[in-house]
Amino acid sequence: MLAKENAAKDLLSGMRTSWFCYSALIVLSVLCSCGKQRHGEAVNLTDLLPPQISSCERQADTATYDRETIFDYIDGAGEVYRSYDFREVAVARYVCEGGAMLRVELFDMGSDADAYGVFSYGREQEEIGIGGGYELRGSVLSFWQNRFYGCVSVEESDASSGELLLAAARAVSHRLPQESSRPSLVDMLPSDNLVPHSDRYCHRHQSLNYHFYLARENVLHLDSTTNAVLARYQPGSTLLLLVEYPDSAKASSAAASFMQTILLGANGIEPTALASGKFASCEQVGRYLIIVLESPSVQSALSLGELARKRFAEFLSQG
Amino acid sequence: MSKPNHLVTRRDFIKGAGCAAVGLAAGLPVLAEEASQEIVIKSRVVLIRNRDVVSGSGKIDGALVRQMLDEAMVALFGKDKAIDCWRQIIKPTDIVGIKSNAWKYLPTPPEVEQAIMSRVLEAGVARENVAIDDRDVLGNVVFQRATALINTRPMRTHAWSGVGSLVKNYVMFAENPPDYHDDACAGLAKLWELPTVKGKTRLNILVMLTPQYHNVGPHHFDKAYTWSYNGLIVSTDPVAADSVGLKIIQKKRQLAFGEDRPLQPNAHHIAIADQEYHLGNSNPSKIDLIRLGWENDILI
Repeated sequence: MLAKENAAKDLLSGMRTSWFCYSALIVLSVLCSCGKQRHGEAVNLTDLLPPQISSCERQADTATYDRETIFDYIDGAGEVYRSYDFREVAVARYVCEGGAMLRVELFDMGSDADAYGVFSYGREQEEIGIGGGYELRGSVLSFWQNRFYGCVSVEESDASSGELLLAAARAVSHRLPQESSRPSLVDMLPSDNLVPHSDRYCHRHQSLNYHFYLARENVLHLDSTTNAVLARYQPGSTLLLLVEYPDSAKASSAAASFMQTILLGANGIEPTALASGKFASCEQVGRYLIIVLESPSVQSALSLGELARKRFAEFLSQG
Repeated sequence: MSKPNHLVTRRDFIKGAGCAAVGLAAGLPVLAEEASQEIVIKSRVVLIRNRDVVSGSGKIDGALVRQMLDEAMVALFGKDKAIDCWRQIIKPTDIVGIKSNAWKYLPTPPEVEQAIMSRVLEAGVARENVAIDDRDVLGNVVFQRATALINTRPMRTHAWSGVGSLVKNYVMFAENPPDYHDDACAGLAKLWELPTVKGKTRLNILVMLTPQYHNVGPHHFDKAYTWSYNGLIVSTDPVAADSVGLKIIQKKRQLAFGEDRPLQPNAHHIAIADQEYHLGNSNPSKIDLIRLGWENDILI
């Protein structure tokens, strides 16, 4: 539990709080229900797709794919969805006046958090106004809402495609539950110097490796029971990784593994220079790990770690 | 102290060992054999481009594809005529599976498939002994009996493996493709050890006519992230061909984004195919790259 003790020391000095406050923070972190917000009830996805969108009519060949059959629709990239709590996707074609073809995919991701996670996976920008947020890029519009991730696309984009995609996404959104909650872990990211829309929410080490290649081995012991968010900060492209474990013992074990494998035995609190010349640190707070990666200097790593601890304290004290 | 490596290019090897040996080698067994003798064999890769092969509207000129493939074969095998190169790698008694790629947004173009098919038939293979397939290779009777494979697909970015590559194109030979998805598909080269595949690949053609250099979301496609590169990469070594294609994709990303934006994930299955599975050469110093045709914006 060395990491935890060091984390406590640093937290105490950095935040100038009493030992009592820190203890309360740990207790809150254990009690705080920040896991995946799951909704178990089954839905008929096809029923959620509108029969008509503007001048476009849904065709009769709507298909659905589940966790096992997703590869029949998407190739190996189906693993992206399976790395979350993906349940099913409905795929519908709409033929519009003039012959344009619209495709609508509605994914049941099992929880708001995982709908947000898959939305964040390749997001470059984000707009508000549809569901919890949407991104329109070329011929594809994606959005997340409640436990659903939606994608609408046109085969051939032209000047009117953007309007059509927005109309389609709004029509689908209208038929879905309206409330959408981002993962709590995302809200625990400090906002200072955060690069907008850079946060990526995931669970497994393969997904983390997609966003930042840490190691072939599952150094952080990530699996379907863990939640992680990776975000980019200025200066440079410093990364902050927050990981939430089911309990502090698992967090402690993962911290030890990270320090041994990535930090080559360093204690994690003091930023360590890696072979890349960038600095990394790792700190445990209860069942969470705060990890700084790719920092251009010791100072920026320390500053970001400090920001993260403060944000943790704010967030956890709010319950 | 180890002995200094004697550098032998594949061109030297062709000259020295004769064409039949190369035809049998298909890039792979020879590498292993030569490695044990501490002789460095370079993999020859031909990159051929034609400015007019893809029209402004995206239509592919089949006649130009055939011409490009012929020129690439001559450069690859060092013979005067393309058909002689094909006869070197394909015997009339062969049963030939042309492993294509059917991804709906960016499949292997039919013009490429037909160019291969016509040359295989000209090499003397009976029509009923040639098949083109992707998703149903395990159920295809020609592929089940195949004695020779020709591997062809377009290169594109991929949300789980970094890029869709020639090495990856054999995933449909797996009984359960997800078995190969671990660690960003790091172990894809294991596919090449499957009995239906091992030792059968005679040629690899990486289609770089309109490659895709960026994804939209986990699995979507937008033509805006493709460009008319108008090229084919041809080699007996799938790893070397993929490495050349990967460099072009990375360079295109750098130009398009105005910054060095690495692939996500980093397509390490190509380097791992070399370093751990010894399927071919990924190191540029072990690749003998021959550039033919249109040079504008070649990116490598």
